[in-house]
Amino acid sequence: MLLLSLLVVTLLAAGAALAARRRSTMEGINLGAAVLTLMLAVTLAASVLRSGPARAAGGLLFADALSALVVLLVSFVYLACAVYAIGYFRDDEKSGVFDQASGESAIAGKLRKYYSLTPLFVCSMLLVALANNLGIMWVALEGTTLASVFLVTFYARPTSLEAAWKYAIIGGVGLSMGLFGTILTYYSASLVMGTETLGGLNWSELVTKAGQFDRTTMRLAFIFILMGYGTKAGIAPMHTWKPDVYSEAPVPVAAMLAAALLNCALYGLLRFFILTSRCLGPEFASNLLIVFGLLSMGVAVPFILVQRSFRRLLAYSSIDHGGIMVLGLAFGGPLGALGMLLHMTFHSVTKPLLFFCAGNVQQHLKTDQFRRAKGGLIHAMPITGALFLMTTLAVTGSPPFSLFQSEFTILRAGFEGRYYLPVVLFVGFLVTIFAGFLVHIARLVLGPDPGTPPAETCAWKKCSLVGLAVVIVVLGFWLPAPLYALVQSAARIVREVQ
Amino acid sequence: MYFYQDPQFGERMITLMAAFVLVLQIAMVGQRWLVTNIRVFAAQSFLLACIANTIAYYNHAPHIYIAAALTFLVKVVFVPILMERLVAKIDIRQEIEPLINVPVSILIAGGLTMVGYVVAESFYHPKEGISPGTLGHNTLAVAISLFLIGFFMMINRRKALTQVLALLSLENGLFLAAISLTYGMPLVVEIGVFFDLLVATMVMGILVYRIRETFDSMDVSQLRRLRG
Repeated sequence: MLLLSLLVVTLLAAGAALAARRRSTMEGINLGAAVLTLMLAVTLAASVLRSGPARAAGGLLFADALSALVVLLVSFVYLACAVYAIGYFRDDEKSGVFDQASGESAIAGKLRKYYSLTPLFVCSMLLVALANNLGIMWVALEGTTLASVFLVTFYARPTSLEAAWKYAIIGGVGLSMGLFGTILTYYSASLVMGTETLGGLNWSELVTKAGQFDRTTMRLAFIFILMGYGTKAGIAPMHTWKPDVYSEAPVPVAAMLAAALLNCALYGLLRFFILTSRCLGPEFASNLLIVFGLLSMGVAVPFILVQRSFRRLLAYSSIDHGGIMVLGLAFGGPLGALGMLLHMTFHSVTKPLLFFCAGNVQQHLKTDQFRRAKGGLIHAMPITGALFLMTTLAVTGSPPFSLFQSEFTILRAGFEGRYYLPVVLFVGFLVTIFAGFLVHIARLVLGPDPGTPPAETCAWKKCSLVGLAVVIVVLGFWLPAPLYALVQSAARIVREVQ
Repeated sequence: MYFYQDPQFGERMITLMAAFVLVLQIAMVGQRWLVTNIRVFAAQSFLLACIANTIAYYNHAPHIYIAAALTFLVKVVFVPILMERLVAKIDIRQEIEPLINVPVSILIAGGLTMVGYVVAESFYHPKEGISPGTLGHNTLAVAISLFLIGFFMMINRRKALTQVLALLSLENGLFLAAISLTYGMPLVVEIGVFFDLLVATMVMGILVYRIRETFDSMDVSQLRRLRG
């Protein structure tokens, strides 16, 4: 019941927004749906912690601690973005970013597109986490691309069309590989379980028999899944769509792509990783993941160092964090999966704020190029500037912020697994990215007052900014026990197999 | 017993049709005209639906009939009509301009077919009796070749619409792989995949239209402003 209502709430919100006429109604629907989704997600997490995995819809939907964690993170990011979006689009309208000629009704049409597609996008992300059937999971993951393509083209600039095209084509090709991997998994399982069963792709059944799967097929299947879901997660070398899409999409959409969709794609990868490790032992999958994880971090380094646009900078940071999570998974051991899931949690909390700050700066300066910004932003926008600097420190993993803890956990997992060379590279990349990132943002925020007029930040934006900042700071010092218990039991699901 | 009830006959028919599917895929690589390309794709999808029907008949698997019907509706009727209307609407030059010339492209497609056969070999376990994989030996090789040639076509083509076609033919390869390896996926999944395919075609169709409107061209090599 709970699982179904999560999906139904977002679907209804999409339908209601389509029917709404006034802007404030649409905003209200979206915000209400986000609050309700988060409440349901918390209830789900609590019930999974208390009484184990939940099922619904005849076994089609299934939620264990891992799904509950991803659902929780997705709905948290949804709420943060729903609050921010209200202020963001109002400012957009005020500054006349939308076509001047188009008039009142065209603006309402654009907003309707945003407010109806966003709940659909969230709905398919939730379905990714809740689907028991790995085939349905694939369908939902493809659905996330389809729901978000027109969110990327929101501004209808030539460049945003280009970004959307890359997103659709690269995502489409990647997911077709994911589908092939799913078919191969089904085949290797069907030799054990038969083909006629309805539950033949149900994860809850597959995982109990994964030890007997056909080994050659499973090996090939995992390679395809890694390429496919890796594309969706933006793991190098399949990351090329990410900077374009993150810089062209409206800020709330980009934040959702970076902080929520990334988790869903990695979640898909994680499910198959568990099956593969049970079938082949952990070495095969781990070695592949180490290569891709290090490559993602390595690719991000030069682009962060010489980056000219702060929106694209954030995209490369997201590629870097995808790599860190994949590495955590690859290092394995008792700490690897825990580190990865902690990192996922902290990253989902921290990343939206970074995007929101960048969005505020971009709306104020009307550019995302470092070159055109004269520095000293903190004088014109004290709250945004200060938080931008703080989140930069948080996201690059400096203490006392929570991402430091998760990165440190992953580091320890690497040492325990005796992966010395990857660990050295890991630390090297982290330090370089920290330096590069901080220099860029510090130059943007600090410095003498260039004399630009102070920016007005509207209450909705302030609310989301300050709220998120409080959560980030609190998480740095105190991780609530139930949340930690959820992460731990999710990590146990991954680890049991190794 | 009529001759068509003999499973041997069915298997031969499937192999024959799979061979034609491969021929059509290579024809698509060599084809210069956009509309013809769309029709070749429709013909290929029609053969695919026939293969699915045949497998459903000989293996008494009624859910494959539904998959076959969906293939027919979506890939033979709906998608080609949608694409031809799009071509008429945006009024583009008919010729596909591949990056690599046609003879070399066909040679590469031939090479990829061989790769497909080599890969499919590893799935062939004759001693295991009647596991689904034995039926699909040839068919699976064709499916993997379709997949690889589809990839090649995506890289080799400049126009946005032809890339969509290549993606769809790649998807055909996946469908063939699924029915030859496991007699299709579970029905819910199959329906979901077709739904996604339908929506994806429409989404990309709209994107193609808007790219054409904005850039006054469908050449994706013009999409190069976003860098770094």
